[in-house]
Amino acid sequence: MSKLPKEVLDLISDSESIKVVSTADEDGNPHIAFKDSLTVLDDGNLAFGEEFEGSQTNVNLVRSIWFNKNVELTVRDKHGTTFRIIGKPYRYAHAGPLFKKFYLAEREKRGPDSELAGVWIITPEEVRNETYEIRKKEEDERHPFFRHFDRSSVRKIKR
Amino acid sequence: MNENNYELGFEELAAKYPDFPRLLIRKLDAELRGVTLTGRALERAKEEGSLYDASADLGQETPRPVLGGALFRDGSWVLGMEPMYLQFPQGYTRRGNSYSIDVVDGKLWLLDGDEPVEDIFFVPYPEYFGKKTSRGTPMVKVVSARLPGLLFIYLYNRCDFWMRKMPCKYCSFPTRVFRRKPGYTQEGLDDLYETMNEALKEDGKWINIVLLAGSDLSGDSPFDNEVGEYVKVLTTLRKSFGTEKIYAKMVASAFSREQMLRLRDAGATTYQPHIEVWDEKLFEWICPGKTKYFGRQYWIDSALSAVEIFGRGYVCTQFVGGVELMQPYGFKTIDEALESTLEGAEFFAKNGVGPIAIIHRLEKGTVFFSQNQKPAPLEYYVRLMKGISEIHRKYNLSVDFNNYRCHPTGDLDRLHTSKITNKPAGGEKS
Repeated sequence: MSKLPKEVLDLISDSESIKVVSTADEDGNPHIAFKDSLTVLDDGNLAFGEEFEGSQTNVNLVRSIWFNKNVELTVRDKHGTTFRIIGKPYRYAHAGPLFKKFYLAEREKRGPDSELAGVWIITPEEVRNETYEIRKKEEDERHPFFRHFDRSSVRKIKR
Repeated sequence: MNENNYELGFEELAAKYPDFPRLLIRKLDAELRGVTLTGRALERAKEEGSLYDASADLGQETPRPVLGGALFRDGSWVLGMEPMYLQFPQGYTRRGNSYSIDVVDGKLWLLDGDEPVEDIFFVPYPEYFGKKTSRGTPMVKVVSARLPGLLFIYLYNRCDFWMRKMPCKYCSFPTRVFRRKPGYTQEGLDDLYETMNEALKEDGKWINIVLLAGSDLSGDSPFDNEVGEYVKVLTTLRKSFGTEKIYAKMVASAFSREQMLRLRDAGATTYQPHIEVWDEKLFEWICPGKTKYFGRQYWIDSALSAVEIFGRGYVCTQFVGGVELMQPYGFKTIDEALESTLEGAEFFAKNGVGPIAIIHRLEKGTVFFSQNQKPAPLEYYVRLMKGISEIHRKYNLSVDFNNYRCHPTGDLDRLHTSKITNKPAGGEKS
């Protein structure tokens, strides 16, 4: 399991961050869903609540846990700092203390008729910083011939 | 079974059926071979509040441990631990060596011999266990549970097919732990009401209820009194929920249209009269009571007509997977057995009735157990579950009231839950 950097942990714990899970169906069609409840567990795994048993995300995650497929989580704060975490579903909890904790939080957030089907636990395997400035620097170093000449860092002299 | 049925083991089957999840093959294998808990696992269960001692409820002096549930990583439940179930503590005929659950390096594992093969997670037992009604009845005797999330209401354990010495040959129903005679009294219904209210206090715990009774032929028309008992329970559940409809699964005899309407009017939303085995001759041999009262076609017709009353996706019928391989009259190969059972499953699905299948448990107290019959092989169950799920998908038919949290049929359906709408598929009766 990859240990998540502090910057990522902070980003995940920021309630204003946008958190997205990306999965794929059996034909490879992508599907994304917002997961505000994404959190880091004590053992370093990630967890989020799944509201509906019949959601495409849930179905895709079931396929992933059964056939050892990756899923991707993306977290982005209001300043644009963005991290992509690739991992594998480790467990789907629909009973027990962890589930109950998420269930009660969902109730608190959405009221007495809210639903929570289960909690997905993801083991992170790879973390990438996808923040624009970081990625630009990486790309400029790796692929200098894909830069436009009118960029200020490429052509210093302007007439 | 003959010599053509060479039996494949777990790894061979996982290689042969790569589109069938390994974890589910393991689950089926564990059910067939059985699962025991080591002392360390029992200790862990106690620490996690997952081990309940039902001896006081049962008036026994020796401990009667019950596990609050054990789940695999994917949330499907570990079968094959009958001594730890509240209702089914009897002995079984198994295939091969049993699995065990033990603590290894601080974690719970399912072990095949010495090899840890799957993570296991215990679930705490329900909060209403250990409580009593105002009349002093242990609540667990009023409503038991198939843990972790299904409430289990035995209306009564008597079955006229047993009384008339023509039981279904795989059935041990009258020997279950909580023996109850037909005829709910007002006190019994009050106990039920109190127990349900107490159980339903627990947040996020329950997702299903099953109502179950034996066949009762008495009444003005056959089964009228059985229907009457269901109506009493449904009426009580309505009080507990405060709703007109009760989202419970109702396993019952084959009722007439009038009887089903009585149930629907009392709040029933689902109905499942079980066909058990499809082949006509085997049905007569395995289910002599159902054959006499009132024959295979009557049980089929009852399921089919129920679709008009309860709707598509709310009626199902169950096959006891593997009984069609019992000897001397059963099929000799798993190919023949599956061809027959899946033909039956497709027939029902085409008519809007969701087919489901359970793993035949060769349980002490059954006719087949006393005959020293042999359980069907693992490959049979892999192909059966695959075949049934493909039929659900083909006919756009869900069996959500028998979903994976309370029934083995529902596991593979999880891969198409998002697509099923229960609208008739092309070429099918609407």
